[in-house]
Amino acid sequence: MSFLSSLMNALPGAAAQGLAWGIMAIGVYITFRILDVADLTVDGSLATGGAVCVMLIRAGLSPWLALLCAVLAGMLAGFVTGLFHTRCGIPAILAGILTQLALYSVNLRIMGSKANQALSVDKYPLLLSQRYVRELSLKNPLPLLLLFTVAVIALLYWFFGTEKGSSLRATGANPNMARAQGINTNSNIVLGLMLSNGLVALSGALLAQYQGSSDINMGRGAIVIGLAAVIIGEVIFGKVFMNFGLKLLAVSIGAIIYYIVLQIVLQLGLNTNDLKLITALIVAVFLAIPYWKSRMFRHTAQSKQKGGSQNA
Amino acid sequence: MNTKRIVSLVASLALVLSLSLGLSGCGDKAAQDDSQDSTDGSAKYVVGICQLVQHEALDAATQGFIDALNEALPGQVEFQNKNASGDSANCSTIVNGFVSDGVDLIMANATGALTAAAAATSDIPILGTSITAYGVALDIDNFSGTVGGNISGTSDLADLGKQADMISEWFPEAKKVALLFCSGEPNSRYQIEEVAKCLSDKGIETKEFAFTDTNDVASVTQSAADYADVVYIPTDNIAASNTEAISNVLVPAGVPAICGEEGICKGCGVATLSISYYDLGVTTGKMAAKILTGEADISEMPIEFTEATPKYNASMCETLGIEPLEGYTAIEE
Repeated sequence: MSFLSSLMNALPGAAAQGLAWGIMAIGVYITFRILDVADLTVDGSLATGGAVCVMLIRAGLSPWLALLCAVLAGMLAGFVTGLFHTRCGIPAILAGILTQLALYSVNLRIMGSKANQALSVDKYPLLLSQRYVRELSLKNPLPLLLLFTVAVIALLYWFFGTEKGSSLRATGANPNMARAQGINTNSNIVLGLMLSNGLVALSGALLAQYQGSSDINMGRGAIVIGLAAVIIGEVIFGKVFMNFGLKLLAVSIGAIIYYIVLQIVLQLGLNTNDLKLITALIVAVFLAIPYWKSRMFRHTAQSKQKGGSQNA
Repeated sequence: MNTKRIVSLVASLALVLSLSLGLSGCGDKAAQDDSQDSTDGSAKYVVGICQLVQHEALDAATQGFIDALNEALPGQVEFQNKNASGDSANCSTIVNGFVSDGVDLIMANATGALTAAAAATSDIPILGTSITAYGVALDIDNFSGTVGGNISGTSDLADLGKQADMISEWFPEAKKVALLFCSGEPNSRYQIEEVAKCLSDKGIETKEFAFTDTNDVASVTQSAADYADVVYIPTDNIAASNTEAISNVLVPAGVPAICGEEGICKGCGVATLSISYYDLGVTTGKMAAKILTGEADISEMPIEFTEATPKYNASMCETLGIEPLEGYTAIEE
């Protein structure tokens, strides 16, 4: 089979994975860009979402209720990080690492002390599964994932327009000014972390159903994928998408692009021992583009100035 | 979008692609070294291999699988050998590639790879290997020994009852046994639970000592050594990568270990009921050949095992002053 046709075949799967991770990336966007906090809880709360969802579905709960519980569990994880940061005075990055560390044990407890819990689509009425990603039917996970993404973006768009949401944005933009306006920045940071980790756990819950199991290591390195999606989205759409809702959409598209590039690299027949190197390179290139661009512009601007003075 | 943006975007994408092309060039050569007989394009069957993580035992199973298939169907099989580098999300991406390529068979090496493959397709035959308990890995109630559908494979489970017997045969005086394993390993918990059951039937007390990763192996092993007369270590990947750290604690404490696998025993144990992962891969490869040629129907193939041989670690026995039992062969250094 030719490379292109097999790639076209692989695209639905890559897009589905990208959409599911995109919801997590939107969560990362809230802390990283809006709150201006580097939150490393996500590596743990992604697996928490997956674990809670899988265990509840296995216990016979409806998948929708299981998703809701997963989101609540993720919010609880964010709440703990928030308390570490605001009530115990621990720097945000450390608070996140502490929660992430603790979540390993918590997740193991949730999963009944097992590192991997299977969730077969043949046995439970799952909302989505990788099995149907190429089928033209209602069971295809893509429409549902799109629906989730749109719903999440719409909800966040509405929320960040409310008074509370605006105060949250102010907290991230200029905490001193926000406090001067009578905003309780500490409670806002906690709220933002809860919101973010709730979304991350939602993503974990969707992913666990998609890949048919929850794994204690499934969140490892999630923050890298999240940041990559945020930055790829900004590099490509930064100048076009000015609206807040569109910016969130860019993050989601960023995650899809990340997975498509990864899939291309794999389809090219790369030695998968180099997978992590490739991942790092993809992110590094997208991180470097804004810097190279700014240097290029400054350079051309300077040479223009020089040209001008010579003419005078 | 202005032209500069488009130019820079195209340039960056080109850069990423050329980098990956360059690296995949090296990758192709490496893959060909792995499977000498694979031919480009002219192969009759395409087999996708998804391995969870780079690891001595898993690598041996993959190699055995490739060798067995190349022997059974020389020059007819093209392998796509992919490794998820320990990340279960990568398994999904890899398997997605296999399904879209329409490979003839998927070999899933380790639990994470198997669950990802099972979620991805119900048509393409999937053979698992290095999996301890299929009933646990795939969540099947009252597992009968045959998965059915499009899944079968081989199990690395050596008889756990026999392993518990080994502990009481080698150390009849032992009253307390520490079960040392990694809490992140799906297979380990099943094994230690079974061994604990068998030991408690013999009136031996057991306690679990679980470490989370490489960083706390030494301290957890220390508390296990303080507690126990004998330590039992299952076929645990993290333990396998840290045998030196474990032995550095156990040897000074004078506590012997019975292990579930030869590699771990060679590093830090006294005796083991060993299976060879290479042989396990060969068994899997033979099953694959039957499925590819249409000789056997995967839905009716039961999970296969490989023979376990009792072995002991000669230098460790000498250090701890233990007399090896009869019927055990020394592990080659």
